[in-house]
Amino acid sequence: MKSHRVPRRWFLASAGAALGCSQDTRPRLNAYNWSTYIDPAMLARFESEHGVSVRYGTYESNEEMLAKVMTGNSGWDVVFPTHSRLAPMARNGLIAPLDHKRLPSLGNLDPRFQRPEWDINLQWGLPYMWNATGVVYNREQVAEPRGWADLWNPALRGRLTMLDDAEDVIGACLQKSGAPFGSIDARQLQTAKADAVRQKGLLRAYLNAEVRDQLIAGDVLAGQLWSTTAAQAMAASPKIGFVFPIEGYPLYCDCAVILHESSRYELAHEFLEFLLRPDVAAANARVGETATANAAARALLPHNPVLYPEASVYRRGVWPSALPSAAQRYRDRLWTEIKSA
Amino acid sequence: MALFFLLPLVIVFACSLLTRGDYGGVEQPWTLESYLRILDPLYLAIFWRSLWIATVATALCSLLGFPLALFVARAGKRRNLYLQLVLLPFWTSFLVRTYAWLFILRDTGLVNTVLLRMHLIAGPLPLLYNDGAVLLGLVYNFLPFFVLPVYAALERLDPALAEAAADLGARPWPVLWRVIVPLSAPGIMAGAVLLFIPCLGAYLIPDLLGGGKTVMLGNLVQNQFTTARDWPFGSAASLVLMLLSALVLAGLVRSRVARELL
Repeated sequence: MKSHRVPRRWFLASAGAALGCSQDTRPRLNAYNWSTYIDPAMLARFESEHGVSVRYGTYESNEEMLAKVMTGNSGWDVVFPTHSRLAPMARNGLIAPLDHKRLPSLGNLDPRFQRPEWDINLQWGLPYMWNATGVVYNREQVAEPRGWADLWNPALRGRLTMLDDAEDVIGACLQKSGAPFGSIDARQLQTAKADAVRQKGLLRAYLNAEVRDQLIAGDVLAGQLWSTTAAQAMAASPKIGFVFPIEGYPLYCDCAVILHESSRYELAHEFLEFLLRPDVAAANARVGETATANAAARALLPHNPVLYPEASVYRRGVWPSALPSAAQRYRDRLWTEIKSA
Repeated sequence: MALFFLLPLVIVFACSLLTRGDYGGVEQPWTLESYLRILDPLYLAIFWRSLWIATVATALCSLLGFPLALFVARAGKRRNLYLQLVLLPFWTSFLVRTYAWLFILRDTGLVNTVLLRMHLIAGPLPLLYNDGAVLLGLVYNFLPFFVLPVYAALERLDPALAEAAADLGARPWPVLWRVIVPLSAPGIMAGAVLLFIPCLGAYLIPDLLGGGKTVMLGNLVQNQFTTARDWPFGSAASLVLMLLSALVLAGLVRSRVARELL
């Protein structure tokens, strides 16, 4: 998942670490994860199997988690950053390397995630759930879109949405014109900004997960959306469709990492090994209807081409990496310009 | 107690003078850069826009709130009941109330459904995700802040004054304009300030009801602390916002009506 799959407005209200303290003397593992990313029954099973307690908290954006973890004494042992945050977190000494000897079930991972480009030796993070951004549409009222360019169709005026997310919106505008999703070229970014401003006249709003209800109700006919949210909308209404844009699209993978500050290195590995079990991974994927990185678990789950695109479609996807600080800042400015236009 | 309030402010101030960390947080060296960036026309426009929207919301609230306060103040025995009704929305969460407006205003929402059923409109009206919806949300949520101080001022007003004006030949409208409004001015000013300041910093309402299509000061600050990961600029912008609020307050304190109030 990607930053704020659920509206970022909740960032203040999120449950966070407020689960309170228990009085038992069992060793305690502290896990901090995205919401709806774990089956509570699986946590209970881990507790009883290992004779430990788990303090479990949830967050809604990488930034919310990073703000706590950056302090170096957040009190969490295992967190789940998106793949692009692994390198910066490792550079800042926030995460401990994985010990593969303690993770014998690594082979359960989908071959795509055995040597991912962002962490080629799986040194820092255990791929957990993944997700893409694409185009969602109403099959009854709109012809099947092919890519991002179709989101500039004047016929969609007022019934079109884009994500409220700078990286995804600017990235889609870049890909529409054939530029790379993570471009830092000022000219390409200016073209993308001009496209975004032009599109804004057609837009109903910039919405994240909350667009789901309006898609189902038929208020919104097309838009940019995360595949996980789209799959939820499709499960609720057969008239919703989803395409992976022809120009390319971004992929995101959330990975379990063990924090450097953790004093429970072994227990944390046991937890990761537990998450790798096929039945556990399948149960966790079912809770939020998300795509697991665990191939052995997938065999236990129904096939869903939106969550698991076929090989030829998957090849068009890119895994964005963290941008250099100056480029990030330039994009933030462009985003403010787009929003103020 | 003073420490309790001041410490966070001191930290925000220190943050605003530092340099942005690559992944959030702040780093050395000390710099004024964040304050200079606010002078950029892009950000000045956001300040201007927020001031404008807060002003319009305050004006709308005054137009709606004054008659309401007058009505409650003159309601006799029912006064307390009406007062409770004004405060009733506060019994639920601000967030829930704002979400409720989404369901009222959207294309398949309450208003459009009723109008469509009555054949008054051919297609759904675009009620959501525009400045009108943002203003509606601001007025709806902050109206009680205006009504209460105005009500307090009107309630203290001696009814004999209005009666005397009427006895001396004033028609109801001049009585209102030349007697009641001037005498309740301190309450109106207090209400306007109580309303203007939260409107200026609002970020949830523009985000939810404006659909993220506009940036107000609150959104700018919030974005700096989340996706933009620019704590110094966020801190500087929030301090300037505070300064603006303080100026509005100072304006009130120095005005004549305030002296009468205090």
